[in-house]
Amino acid sequence: MPRDNEQTGEFTPKILAFCCNWCTYAGADLAGLNRMNYPADVKVLRVPCSGRVNPQYVLKALQSGCDGVLVCGCHPGDCHYSTGNYYAKRRMMIFKRMVEFAGLSPERFQIRWISGSEAGKFRDTVVEVSEQIRALGPMENDAPSRAAIDAVAGTVASPEADEELFAAAKEAI
Amino acid sequence: MADVQDTIRERAAALLSSGEVSAVIGWGAGRFDDVRFPLVVKRAEDAGKLVFDASCVQMTAKRLLEHTGEGKVALVARGCESRAVNRFIADHQLTRDQVYVIGVPCPGMVDPATGETLKRCAECQVRNPVVHDELVGDPVPEPKPYRFAEVDRVEAMSREERRAFFDEMYGKCIRCYACRNACPCCTCRECFVEQDKVGWQGKAFNVNEARYYGMIRAFHTGDRCIECGECERACPMGLPLMVIMHQQVRDIDKLFGPYEGGGLTDSGPDPLRTYKTDDIEEFM
Amino acid sequence: MLLKKAKAGALLDAIAAKERLFVPADDRGTSRFVAYGAGVEPRFDLLNTKLPPKDLLFPATETLYRWSRDGADLAIDSAFAETDPFTVFGLRPCDMASVDRLDAVFLTKGYVDEFYQAKREAATFVVATCAHPGRACFCDSIAASPHEAPTADVLLEDAGEEWVVTPQTEKGASAVEAWKPYLEEGDAEPIKAACDLKVDMAAVPEKLKGMFDDPIWSDIGDQCLTCGTCTFVCPTCYCFNIDQDVREDEGKRFRCWDSCMFTDYTAMAGGHNPRASKESRVRQRFMHKLTYFNDRYDMNLCVGCGRCMRDCPAAVDISLIIDRIAASEPAQEKEAMAHA
Repeated sequence: MPRDNEQTGEFTPKILAFCCNWCTYAGADLAGLNRMNYPADVKVLRVPCSGRVNPQYVLKALQSGCDGVLVCGCHPGDCHYSTGNYYAKRRMMIFKRMVEFAGLSPERFQIRWISGSEAGKFRDTVVEVSEQIRALGPMENDAPSRAAIDAVAGTVASPEADEELFAAAKEAI
Repeated sequence: MADVQDTIRERAAALLSSGEVSAVIGWGAGRFDDVRFPLVVKRAEDAGKLVFDASCVQMTAKRLLEHTGEGKVALVARGCESRAVNRFIADHQLTRDQVYVIGVPCPGMVDPATGETLKRCAECQVRNPVVHDELVGDPVPEPKPYRFAEVDRVEAMSREERRAFFDEMYGKCIRCYACRNACPCCTCRECFVEQDKVGWQGKAFNVNEARYYGMIRAFHTGDRCIECGECERACPMGLPLMVIMHQQVRDIDKLFGPYEGGGLTDSGPDPLRTYKTDDIEEFM
Repeated sequence: MLLKKAKAGALLDAIAAKERLFVPADDRGTSRFVAYGAGVEPRFDLLNTKLPPKDLLFPATETLYRWSRDGADLAIDSAFAETDPFTVFGLRPCDMASVDRLDAVFLTKGYVDEFYQAKREAATFVVATCAHPGRACFCDSIAASPHEAPTADVLLEDAGEEWVVTPQTEKGASAVEAWKPYLEEGDAEPIKAACDLKVDMAAVPEKLKGMFDDPIWSDIGDQCLTCGTCTFVCPTCYCFNIDQDVREDEGKRFRCWDSCMFTDYTAMAGGHNPRASKESRVRQRFMHKLTYFNDRYDMNLCVGCGRCMRDCPAAVDISLIIDRIAASEPAQEKEAMAHA
C-alpha cells in the first residue's frame, strides 16, 4: 500500500495509539471539541484500560505495517479500575527495554499518561511522536546496514542466503 | 559421582517399592557414553537404569507436570530442577506434597560437543538444591559466576548492530518450540502460538515470525525466569536465547529491586504481577 | 575419471558460472546447503549437514497463489514458476535416499505436485560417498549405503585424495561431459565404508502393526519434549500445513512445514484433538517412519542419517527404538501367552 502523501510525496507514517477509554480517549475527544489540529498519522484504538494492552499487540502492530505505537492511559493513581495502569507501567517498562535491546528505535514505541482534561498534552504528544517517526522514516529503515551486519555476523553465510534473510527482516521488525 | 548414582538408585528402588511414590524422574543412559536422557522410572526393578554423571545435561523438571496426577512423584533435583519445583508451586502447577525431591548438589555438567562445562552450568547461580526431602551427596560450593557477560557485549553494540545480532539469531530459528517445551515457566495449557483462531503466530518460517515468537515467549517468562538456561541448552540451533532473558532479569532487578525466580527470595509475587505506587516514573 | 579434491574449487567455480550451485557449508553456526558464491567455503568433510537438503525441493515456506481485489475485480495469480537448472554438489547417500522418498510422495500414486516437480526436474544431484560414517549413521541397515547412491545423477566415490567420478543418469552424463577440463584420467580404489551402528529392520514394519497399544509409546512420550526438532532436521519428513496471509485487499496462500509433534497438527475445528497426548504423537511419528510408509511406498521412511538422534534436546534415539521394537514379542504371541 503506498504510504506517501499523494499531493506532497512526503512519507506519511502509520502510528497506532492505544488510548484508555476513561482518560486519554476523553482527552483526544476534548482535543477534537476544542478544534485542535494534529497530524492524521495517528489512528486511535480505544481500549478499556492501559492495563488491557497486551505487549503482543505492540509487536504485532509493528510487524503488520505500523511505523510506531503509542500506548496511553490515565496518570498513575487515577486509573478507573484503581490499579490497571500500575501494572501496565511495569510491563511496558520491561517490554520497551526488551524491544529496544533487540534493536527497535526507541521513538517507535512510546508510552504516555494523558488525562481526560489534557487535550493539549494529547495534541502535543501526537505532534511530537509523529515528527519523530517522520524523521525516522518507515519501519524498513530500522533494518541494519551492511556494516552492522558484518560487524556481528557469525562465520560464513552465503551472500545469497544473507540477502534472503535480511530482505525478510526489512519488511518489519 | 559414582556413589551418588548408587544412592539415587537405592533410594529410587526403596521409594517405588514402598509405594511412597509412583514414579522417579532422573536420567537414563543413551547408546553412547556421553548421551543421557530424561528417564521416568515407574517400577522398582528399573531403578538400576537411573544414571547420574557429568553428561546429565537436561533439566528434567518439566516432566513432573505430566505425572503428578498419578500419585506422588520423586524428582532427582539439582539446583536448577529444585528451583523449577518452586516455580511450579508458585505458578499453582503442583503442590509441595505432590513431589518428593531427591536433592543432588551439582558440580556442573559437561557439554558433550565441546568437552567443556555446559554453558548453563557455567552461569549457574544455584548448584545446591533449594528445596529437598533428602539430600544425596555433600553440598558443593556456590561460585556464583557473573552471568551477564553476553548481555554486556550486546548492550555495548549500536542499535543497528543489536538489530543485526537478533536478525541473525531469529533468522536461524526453526520454530521447533523446544525452548518452550523445556521451559519450567511455560506452563500455559494453551500457548499463544497455538491460538490459531486469534492468529497471533503466523505459520510461515521467516525471521519476523521467529522474532515474534521468540520475543513474546521471552517476555511472558521474563519476570519468572529461574535462569536454568534449559531453553538455550535445548535449542537445536544453538541460539543464545538466554541473552534476552538475562537482559530482562537484570532490568527487573535494577528497576523493581532484587528478585530471583524459583523461591530464592521471599519477595512476594513476581515483579510483573504486582506494582508499587512509588515505582519510578518514566512515561510522564 | 578422477576429480582431485584439491581441484574441486575450480570445478565449483565453473559450475556456478553456469547455473545455481548448492554446497554443504557452515552458515552462522549451523550447516546446510548454501548457494555457492564468493566467501563460501564448501565443507565436504562434514558427514551430513545439520539442516537437511529437503528445502531445496520443498521449501519451508512456499507461496502457492496470490490474490488481490480492486473494487469488484478479484485477481488470482498462481505463484508457480519454472525453476532454472541447479546443481547440488556433495550430497550424502542418505540424503539422496531421502530425495527418493520425497519423489515417491510428491510425484507418484496418481498425483504430481507441480511445485515440487519443477524443482526436482531442474536439479542435478552430485553425491559424495562417505569414507568415515559417523557414530550416529546407520543408513546401510535401513535405507542406503555409505558408498552407493543408485539414483544420484553423478556419484563421487571417495578415494582419499580424490573422488572417482561416475555419471549414473543422462543428466549426470552431460554434466560430467562439461566437467572434463577439471577431471583426470586414471583409476583409484574407492573406500567402501560401512556404518558401525546397525539396526535390524527386517521384522519391524510387521511387528509395529501389532504394537499400537504397546507401553513403548508411553516410555518415549515420557522422554520426548514433543518439540519439532526431529521433524524439521529430518530429510524425509514432508508434512505441511496450508495457511494464508491476508491484508486488506491482497493476500497469499502458502504452504509451510508442519510437525506431527505439535498439538495443533491434529487440532480439529470443533476443538477435539485425536492426538492430544504426547505418547499418541510420538507413536504416530515412529509408526509413519517405520511401517505406514512401507505399506504405501514399500520403503522405510527413515534413511538412517542420524540427524534426529544428534539434535534431539531429549536425546530420543530412533536406533534404540528400532532395537526395542525388533526385540519385542509379536502381538499374537503376547496375546497367546496372556491366554495361556
